[in-house]
Amino acid sequence: MTTDRERKFKKQLEIKFTKEFGDNKQEGGSITDKANKYHRLGVDQDPRKREMKEAGQKIAKERGLVGYNPMMHCGGIPLGQRAITPSFVSGTDIMVEPDDLHYVNNAAMQQMWDDIRRTCVVGLDMAHETLEKRLGIEVTPETINHYLEVLNHALPGGAVVQEYMVETHPALVDDCYVKVFTGDDDLADEIDDQFLIDINKEFPEEQAEQLKESIGKTTWQAAHIPTVVSRTTDGGQTSRWIAMQVGMSFISAYNMCAGEAAVADLSYAAKHAAVVSMGDMLPARRARAPNEPGGLTFGHLSDIVQTSRITPEDPANIALEVVGAGCMLYDQIWLGSYMSGGVGFTQYATAAYTNNILDDNLYYDIDYINDKYDGAANTGTDNKIKPTIDVIKDIGTESTIYGLENYEKYPTALEDHFGGSQRATVMSAAAGAATAIATGHGNAGLSAWYLSMYLHKEAHGRLGFFGYDLQDQCGATNVFSYQSDEGAPVELRGPNYPNYAMNVGHQGGYAAITSAAHAGRGDAFALNPLLKICFADDLLPFDFTQPRKEFGRGAIREFSPAGERSLIIPAK
Amino acid sequence: MAYEPQFYPGNTIIAENRRKHMSGNLEKLREISDEDLTLVLGHRAPGSDYPSTHPPLAEMGEPECSIRELVEPTEGAKAGDRVRYVQFADSMYNAPATPYFRAYYAAIKFRGVDPGTLSGRQVVEARERDMEKLAKESLETEISCPALSGLRGATVHGHSLRLQEDGVMFDMLDRRRLENGTIIMDKDQVGRPLDKKVDLGKPMSEEEAAKRTTIYRVDNVAFRDDDEAVEWVHRVWETRTEYGFQPKVYND
Repeated sequence: MTTDRERKFKKQLEIKFTKEFGDNKQEGGSITDKANKYHRLGVDQDPRKREMKEAGQKIAKERGLVGYNPMMHCGGIPLGQRAITPSFVSGTDIMVEPDDLHYVNNAAMQQMWDDIRRTCVVGLDMAHETLEKRLGIEVTPETINHYLEVLNHALPGGAVVQEYMVETHPALVDDCYVKVFTGDDDLADEIDDQFLIDINKEFPEEQAEQLKESIGKTTWQAAHIPTVVSRTTDGGQTSRWIAMQVGMSFISAYNMCAGEAAVADLSYAAKHAAVVSMGDMLPARRARAPNEPGGLTFGHLSDIVQTSRITPEDPANIALEVVGAGCMLYDQIWLGSYMSGGVGFTQYATAAYTNNILDDNLYYDIDYINDKYDGAANTGTDNKIKPTIDVIKDIGTESTIYGLENYEKYPTALEDHFGGSQRATVMSAAAGAATAIATGHGNAGLSAWYLSMYLHKEAHGRLGFFGYDLQDQCGATNVFSYQSDEGAPVELRGPNYPNYAMNVGHQGGYAAITSAAHAGRGDAFALNPLLKICFADDLLPFDFTQPRKEFGRGAIREFSPAGERSLIIPAK
Repeated sequence: MAYEPQFYPGNTIIAENRRKHMSGNLEKLREISDEDLTLVLGHRAPGSDYPSTHPPLAEMGEPECSIRELVEPTEGAKAGDRVRYVQFADSMYNAPATPYFRAYYAAIKFRGVDPGTLSGRQVVEARERDMEKLAKESLETEISCPALSGLRGATVHGHSLRLQEDGVMFDMLDRRRLENGTIIMDKDQVGRPLDKKVDLGKPMSEEEAAKRTTIYRVDNVAFRDDDEAVEWVHRVWETRTEYGFQPKVYND
């Protein structure tokens, strides 16, 4: 295990730093060399930068207005004064151009966020009760199937009760649909397969039992509005769009009157009373609707990512996939764009899911924990260690010092993570996730995160940018705080948690710690079983079982997104 | 018995160097003229007056205020100087200073300074003549090595990158380089060309840098080997954690 881990880590660094890529002339040397020849070749050494430069020139010519021109950088000294090197997406063999991990350049990243933002889970039981008790309409598996057929016509924008109506073109909204899931196996048997997310089929047996026990015999719709609608509006539109089509579909499927007062009862019950958004609405000062990333708790993101049902025996892998998803969404999209308008956040975020550096640190920790604590890092509940201060201190310290020494032994790893913020995220995520896996306790993992920050700062005399002084020096005091405005279980924390609101480079790590605690225990979900089941659906364009691989596919331009408009624009 | 500040824990040479930087008792290793300092900082022309943002305090007719009476203004504040900056990048390959210890040095030894600390750079802002005092001492003493430390106002990357083949920290803007055994700088902090080459002095040898550095490294003095420093980090973390965990607030 140790040998495999080291081999993979070194192999990727060797390809990245000692083999020529494009025309960067970096062939030779060793990944442990402390000195390097700097060729200062500029952007022309790199195939993607060349493509971008040519595109900039073409655009300027066509529109008669200058645009992208790398010679505008530093008064004529372009990027590429050191070698521009490719990156591997961690956990894969996909080698990518760094630029292609910016979400603007990566369709898979856009689709991951689209698929979350355009989703709501909507309960069916209250609507059914209202139909039966208030309106005397019988609900059977057959009527449910019929309703779902109607809704799959209406949800993308098809008319159901009007005489004359504009509609959306089905080829533009083909990613929009609704499925159902239930903890009632008898009802599930009666639902048409095309509509059912079958818990028994999608999850390992033990997880399926946990999920069914958690949701009981309730029934829920997993609804996804069109990507193109979500992109044109915002996350708050998701529940509104769903509500409108759900209401019309009930009226149509159950032959109801469109105006009687009883329909108001149904409307509330069917459209609003049991809606679960992916993200909470944010306070006015951040001014975001529900289903925007700032309101997406770490617990919810842990449940949206589906790796736990594919590799339940490998909790580290589960946490690492959540790191990838979280760093991309929270850093690159939320903090990077919604909150700041920056372009450079990509490099903070990608450090945690490229070149296997975090993976190496975390798998080292797994070996360390299993050796010292008798298999506590294996999936299970009976093997966990009690989360004491001493245990957190031990695992957090060993993990961090291993990470620090890796950067010291491998100057190429240090150069890859050229900013302290990148290194801080990686080391703290490893320490936090490892501690969470060993203890099955998310806040214990969070505690190790802060210990790692302190150790890192003192060892290297530096940490991250200014913000790290704020968030990472005061964070330890809120980990176990009982006071409601200070403390919260990590599952319920999110990007808008007071101390985390501007925590660049952190939130993917916190999400990973959350998932690690539950993955370590073999839990089927971290916070909300409804979300875990909702995303156990391979019809979604983005494969949530392996976010990092999807980002890699996006980077090498092999990912097909939804919501494209080529049908309604001139062909080029 | 007079109080002796201890500054920093640790039983290694790294900890000892950290205490030294924080105490401000630094060995002078080289000389930088006032003219050269002004040139590399790039805030004003050498020999020109300090631009000011307000008249001298003595001429301002300040209101009565017990705090104003209590606090003696710095020379720069008295004269009404602008607030300007000096910023250093320090290589992780045993540069003498690390950002936090530059910040502690500035905050402990100098008045009226505003240090900002990141991983790859450390900026100190102060009234211009006060800042120059700090900048001069930083460049002339053991706190800096001309090859491993760099004055960089912008485009600072280099602290974590492999060194150049000549042992000098990489600088994207090529503001300074090794020439005839000494480091010269021919661009100012933000990369504007200078009319002359400023001699920043000889680089430290690898051995000397390893002896003077404030960074723990596994190939010099490993952090894990400084038991006392690690123990104190643990203590800080533990007490902060326990302070936050206060179930007693609900028992009162």
